[in-house]
Amino acid sequence: MAGTSIAERGLREKPAPAAGGGRRSRRLQPQGLHWILPALVLSVGLIYYCIWYTAVISTWDWDGIDPNPERVGAENYIRIAQDPIFWKTIQHTIVFFVVTFVLQTALGLIFAVLLHSKVKLAVVYKVIIFIPVVLAPAITAPVFRQIYAPDGQFNSVLEFFGLGFLAQPWLGQESTALAVIMAVTVWQWTGLTFVLYFAAMGQIDQSLLEAARIDGAGNFRTLIHIIWPGVRGTTLALAILSAIGALKTFDLPYLITVGGPNYATEFLGTYIYRKTIPQSHVGYGAALSIILLVLALVMALILQVRGGEKRVVR
Amino acid sequence: MKFTLQTKLSLRSLAVVGLASLALTFGACGGPVGGGGQGAEKNESQNQNQATGPATSGTVNWWGWTPTDTATANGYIAAFNKEYPNIKINFKLVSIPDWQAALTPALRSESGPDVFDMQPGSYVTKYGSFAQDMTPVITKALGEDWQSKVAPAGVSGLTDKNGKLTALSVGAVYSGTLWINKGLFDKHGLKPPTTVDEWEKVCQEFKKASQRCFVQGAAGQGFDQDTLQAIANSVEPGFWTKASKGEAKWNEPAMVKTLDIWKQLFSRGIMQEGAIGYQQYPDANNDFLTGKYAMVMMGTWYTQYSTEKAMTAALKAAGVSGAKPFPILPIQFPNVGGNTSEMFGDADYGLSISTKAKDKAAAEAFVTWLTTSQAGQQAVADQLNDVPALKGIEPNFEEINFVDPATQEAPVKDLLAKVAPVTQPRFALLNQDVQDAIFQAAQSTATGKATPEEAANTLQEAAAAAQ
Amino acid sequence: MFEIRTRWGRILLQVVVTLLVLPFLFPLVAMVQGSLAGDGWANYEAVLAVPGLWRFFLNTVVIAAGVIVLVYIVTMLAAYGFGKLRIRGREVYFWMLLVCLTLPEVVLLTPLFTTAQAFGFFDTYWAVILPIAALQVPFAVLLARNFVQGIPDELFEAARVDGGSVINGFRHLVIPLTRPIAAAILIFTLIGAWNNYLFPLVFLQSPEMQTITLVPQFFVGQFSNDQTKILASAVIIAIPEVVAYLCLQRYFERGLAAGAIK
Repeated sequence: MAGTSIAERGLREKPAPAAGGGRRSRRLQPQGLHWILPALVLSVGLIYYCIWYTAVISTWDWDGIDPNPERVGAENYIRIAQDPIFWKTIQHTIVFFVVTFVLQTALGLIFAVLLHSKVKLAVVYKVIIFIPVVLAPAITAPVFRQIYAPDGQFNSVLEFFGLGFLAQPWLGQESTALAVIMAVTVWQWTGLTFVLYFAAMGQIDQSLLEAARIDGAGNFRTLIHIIWPGVRGTTLALAILSAIGALKTFDLPYLITVGGPNYATEFLGTYIYRKTIPQSHVGYGAALSIILLVLALVMALILQVRGGEKRVVR
Repeated sequence: MKFTLQTKLSLRSLAVVGLASLALTFGACGGPVGGGGQGAEKNESQNQNQATGPATSGTVNWWGWTPTDTATANGYIAAFNKEYPNIKINFKLVSIPDWQAALTPALRSESGPDVFDMQPGSYVTKYGSFAQDMTPVITKALGEDWQSKVAPAGVSGLTDKNGKLTALSVGAVYSGTLWINKGLFDKHGLKPPTTVDEWEKVCQEFKKASQRCFVQGAAGQGFDQDTLQAIANSVEPGFWTKASKGEAKWNEPAMVKTLDIWKQLFSRGIMQEGAIGYQQYPDANNDFLTGKYAMVMMGTWYTQYSTEKAMTAALKAAGVSGAKPFPILPIQFPNVGGNTSEMFGDADYGLSISTKAKDKAAAEAFVTWLTTSQAGQQAVADQLNDVPALKGIEPNFEEINFVDPATQEAPVKDLLAKVAPVTQPRFALLNQDVQDAIFQAAQSTATGKATPEEAANTLQEAAAAAQ
Repeated sequence: MFEIRTRWGRILLQVVVTLLVLPFLFPLVAMVQGSLAGDGWANYEAVLAVPGLWRFFLNTVVIAAGVIVLVYIVTMLAAYGFGKLRIRGREVYFWMLLVCLTLPEVVLLTPLFTTAQAFGFFDTYWAVILPIAALQVPFAVLLARNFVQGIPDELFEAARVDGGSVINGFRHLVIPLTRPIAAAILIFTLIGAWNNYLFPLVFLQSPEMQTITLVPQFFVGQFSNDQTKILASAVIIAIPEVVAYLCLQRYFERGLAAGAIK
């Protein structure tokens, strides 16, 4: 197919930036360690103390203030493994990650593509998509509680379109609460994927696109075979960020539904908060955080490896 | 391995990073547990002889989640400064959701607050070690018989299990009432319900007239607990307190019946649809104040909305402009279980003085003024939010403008008189885990996920584990 | 990106974009409506009349500026290092950096607090700038490294052949060519620093150090909650961020083609 060969040609011409470093002769590449030092000192230096700290107190039964914490070894971890709420949070996180990542990526990409084309008043659209990113969840949460209330705007809109039979107390039911949280999350973060894809699109070689058009490829084919592979790096980065974000997610589920009803919207992030602050089971919360860290690392590694593989295979 | 220049550079750089991390690790001295409790004990013994003479100058940093707006706090401070012009008080408002996150590190540092709010219950256990014993302070202020001069509810709740009085109560709040929009009842010719059957009927009548009945933010722990306690008090007076103390089990028939009646509130159409996804503030509150619902479950703190000024402000805050304020009235919680439901409450908050406070004399002057002086307590009473801790202080009804004094003044005065002798605690006896379990029981029965019996059993298990 | 040749096509495109954007617009309209309810524009006046507002605003600007500068410098250096230079164990360092993203903020409070105390920068701007920057850097490096890797190696080879040093490669290639992603990083770092609530709350004690994110708290009480003014303050807080976004818009538009130095 015309599109595929162009893409392949493009990829062959550009040196593929593989994860392990340039394929070019490594001997000619200059040393780079001191370039990354500031970043390491700042982030690793500051945060790793926190990680060590958290790891230590994860073996305690502590309320955060008592000068004599009880050292309990791995007991917190054992209790976590048997904690049904913990497993529920994992389940929710996976569903949440998949759904929000797919939707945010798709919408972000579509918007980026559409708004890169000749559309009138593009600025207005860009601002509208972006504003949600800027708004603090603490402020948007009550508004969404109102919108999704049984007599709120969402149900009114449904009725307006004759879908009144679908109206229900969205936040008062276990079955639909998670869907609402996911919808609000997509609303909030699509602006992020949009901005990143928009920036990444600038890097796509114009000549590739022109060649595709000359070969007669339609818009849709261009999207699939040139644009999508062309922003692969961004997609991978977003996948990793989404995975970590899904594990950490706290603001929206806590503020809108407080993890309820009946833990239907409980995530690892909200569970950690709940255990650490109101319930003062700081040791348990720390153990959960360490597990979060490990899970995040594993997920990111998997994504990176799979993402890198795909590049090589092509 | 050959040590090339590159390797040396990278090794050196690695060392820098490693050292940096280590430096931070050890620099943040003493590891995770430092200062705080141990330091507090030492300071306490050193400062047993507190400031003797009255303070005339100093600076005091006061942290609190309440008074919930800085203007009110500054009002108290201004009144205080009339008597003590040279003591500077800085109030920092930290709202209750952030309270624990902010206070814990602050108290463990040297730059924490000098005076901080204290709530009965889990906070006393948690932060009590950072507060100095207030018994000498209040004895100095009110004399040896001070206990007879202040409301008992405010004392026991703020005393920790070692008998230390960790804070002086500013005022108390009581729960176990409903507040109604009398106008709506009159308009539809209905009387406030006194049993659960009447409650159901009233709601049906309202529904026929397209008026909504009762609203509650059942997504919040505290307010669900209030309702359950009120129901329990009607089912078996005294049971709730016994269970809180561990003298009765949470899965006894009284509790099962309580949860069953709670469930009926949902199944019989009394609770509004979607209640478990609703928050009391701002959702339910705004709905009631804008007349969408005729009844709401709130406690004595709601008295502040019975005035014209507060109601108008609240209406505007709810997003309604130009609406007329209407009179709200307190009524007894309906007799849902066969007995009159007694009210319950404890100190809304007290003021603690940190063991690390710098200007102890100035801090004591302020705390004493607000909690035990006529002027201070009068200022508190007039807010109509808290019932003052000092006995004999009443809100200045001359200055208070009810929306409709004819219908409101008597019930409000009645309410205030009724709560004075109340000793049944609200939060004081419970720890966070038990409260969480109570909340889970409420939610699971409301959604039908568990039967009242199952929920009560789960609650008992959790409460037993939390001991 | 898409080429539309017919008039109908253009209209269809416009309609599709509009329909897609409506669900995003809807809650925003609800919020603005909410902010104007009750007192109307007086809500905004009330927010602007909060004592010390301009001081809070200034503090937030200082903190945001500090974070942005720190993050930008550190990130660009690191992106160049990770993206184009040779480092032994490069991936290990990269993952070490990424791990910093995984801890929830609430877990970081107490250890960061101890650190701030030990190093004496508690209740200073640094107590907030450093943690926020430390948390933003991995995110920024992840994005920037990607972008830098996308710059063709030939450009760097050419520069080196022309006698330029590594540093020159950085100044004359990386900085100009990464403008689009730098703009994106700038925006997100700005948002991260501007909206941060927890760190200023815990690490800044004196009233004159408070940030603007504290303003909505003036309207939230234990038993009251003035939604209208909270929404008004949200709008006011958001405006500078949106303005910054609009200003940086054009950097996203410029692609590789425009900035390449042959």
